[in-house]
Amino acid sequence: MKKYWFIFSIYWQEGLSRRASFLMERFRALVVLISFYYFWSALLKHRTSFAGYDRSQMLTYVLGMNVLRSLVFATRTEEIAGEINHGRLSGYLLKPVNFMLYTFSRDLSEKSINLVSSIIEVIGLILIFHVDLKCPHDLQTWMLFLTACAGATWLYFILSFMTGCWGFWTSEAWGPRFLLELFLEFTAGAFFPLDVLPRMAQQIISSFPSPYMIFFPLQIFLGKINSHQILDGFLIQLFWLLAISGMARVVWVQGMKNYSSAGS
Amino acid sequence: MKYLRIWKRLAVMSFMVQVESFISSFGYLLGKLVRIGFFLFFLFSIFKHTDALVGYTLPEVALFFLTFNIVDIVAQLFFRGIYGIRSMIREGDFDYFLIQPANVLFRVAFQTVDFLDVITILPVLAVTLYVMRHIAGAAGQPAAPTLRWFLYGLLALNGLVIAFAIHIVVAALAVLTQEMENTIWIYRDLMTLGRFPSDIYDSPMRAILTFVVPVAVMVSFPAKAFLGKLAAGWLLQAFFMSMTSLAFSLWFWRFATRRYTSVSS
Repeated sequence: MKKYWFIFSIYWQEGLSRRASFLMERFRALVVLISFYYFWSALLKHRTSFAGYDRSQMLTYVLGMNVLRSLVFATRTEEIAGEINHGRLSGYLLKPVNFMLYTFSRDLSEKSINLVSSIIEVIGLILIFHVDLKCPHDLQTWMLFLTACAGATWLYFILSFMTGCWGFWTSEAWGPRFLLELFLEFTAGAFFPLDVLPRMAQQIISSFPSPYMIFFPLQIFLGKINSHQILDGFLIQLFWLLAISGMARVVWVQGMKNYSSAGS
Repeated sequence: MKYLRIWKRLAVMSFMVQVESFISSFGYLLGKLVRIGFFLFFLFSIFKHTDALVGYTLPEVALFFLTFNIVDIVAQLFFRGIYGIRSMIREGDFDYFLIQPANVLFRVAFQTVDFLDVITILPVLAVTLYVMRHIAGAAGQPAAPTLRWFLYGLLALNGLVIAFAIHIVVAALAVLTQEMENTIWIYRDLMTLGRFPSDIYDSPMRAILTFVVPVAVMVSFPAKAFLGKLAAGWLLQAFFMSMTSLAFSLWFWRFATRRYTSVSS
C-alpha cells in the first residue's frame, strides 16, 4: 500500500502545482454554487417550504452538493483514454503497480484537494450569507452518510474508469464521455434535489446508478429518509458497485486483449 | 466579399476536422442538447410546485434561459478561435497571420468555426420562438407589439457585441502575456449566472452583474425588453455599455499587437 500512498502524495503535489487549472475548476464550482444558492433563496423567499424542503434543508442541500461534487466527481480518469491511445499505458504495465489502484490513488489526490477547497468555500459562504445549516445530531447518521459517500466515490470512479477504457477501441472517447458526465451530473442530483422532479421522472432516474452518488448521501445527511429507505439505498448502491466493478473488469480484460502500442 | 470567402474556407476546414472525428463530435452535440433539455425540464418541474419565480411565470423564466443559450452559443459559434489564441501564439500561427493580407483579429476569431453550435442553435431558436409566441398569446396579444420583437433582437445583438468585446480583451491579454487563456473560461463560467433572471440576485450581486461583468445586460435585458419590463433608461445604458466596451477592446487589441514581438517560430 506504501507505493499507492506515494502515488497519492506525488499527484497531490502535482495538483497543487497546476494552480491555474485548479483555481479555474474551483471558480467554476463556486459559480454553480452561487447561482443555485440565489435560485433557491429566491424561490423560498416568501414561503416556508418548497417540495418538502424548508429553507434550511434546501440551502444545506445546495452547499452539501458542492462538497459532494468535489469528492465524487473530481477525477483524472479522462486521462486514461489518452494514455491508451498514445501508448503510455505500456509504461504503467511494466511497473509493479495495479493500474486501477494507481488511477484510484491519482483520483484520490484530485478529490482530496478539491474536497478541502470546497469545504473552505462552503464555510466562507455560510459566514457571508449566514446560512442556517441543517446537520445531523447523532453519530450514527454521520457514519451512514460517510459510508454512502465512500460508496458514491468508488461508484463514480469505477464508472469513469470503465469509460476511460473506451480508449482501447476508439480515439474518440471524449465526446461520449462529455455526454455521460452531463447525464450523470443531472441524474445524480448534482444541481438540484431529484425529488423536485415529477414522480415519473424520479422513478426513471432511480433505475440508474447516479442517484446513489449525490442525492442518496444527502438524503441521509438531511434525515429525509427512514431506516428502511436507507437500508434499501445501501443495497442498491452495493448492487451497482458490484455490477459496474464486474463490467469494468470485463472491459479491462477485453481491452487488454485488444491493446497494442506499436511505435510508442 | 474577401472576408466572406476566408470565413467560408475556414468553416469548411473546421467542418472536415469535426466530421473526421464523428463519434466524438456526435457525443458533444448530444451532450449540449441534453444539457439544454435537462435544464428546461428542471424549470418545468420547479413550476409544478410554484406559480412564479421572482414574479416570472414558467415561459418567462424559460425565455431568460433560452436567451442565455442563444447569446452564449452564437458567441461561441463566431468567436471560437479566441479559445485557441495561446497555442496560435506559441506555435507561430499568429506570426503567420500578421503577415497575411487580412485583418488579424478576424483571422484569430474565425480560425475555428464550431459546426456543433450551428446544429445546437437551430432547436434553441425554434423553442425560443415557440416560447415567445406563447408569452405573447398569454398576454392576450396574438402578436406582441413589433417593437418588443425588435428590441429583443436588438438587445440580443447588443449582448453579442459585449461578448465580442470581452473575447477581444481576452485575446489581447493573451498576446501581451502569452498566458491568460483561462480568462475566457472565467467569462464562460460567469455567463452561466445569466441562466436565471437577474432579479433572483440581491442588490450588490445584481449591480456586479449589470455594471462589472455585464451578464445581465447581455442576457436578461433582451428577455426583459420582450416582456415589457425594461425601462427606457436601461436601453440607453445597454447600448452605451456595448459601444464603450467595443471601443475599449479594439483600442486594447491594437495596444497589445503593437507590443507583440513574437515568441515562437
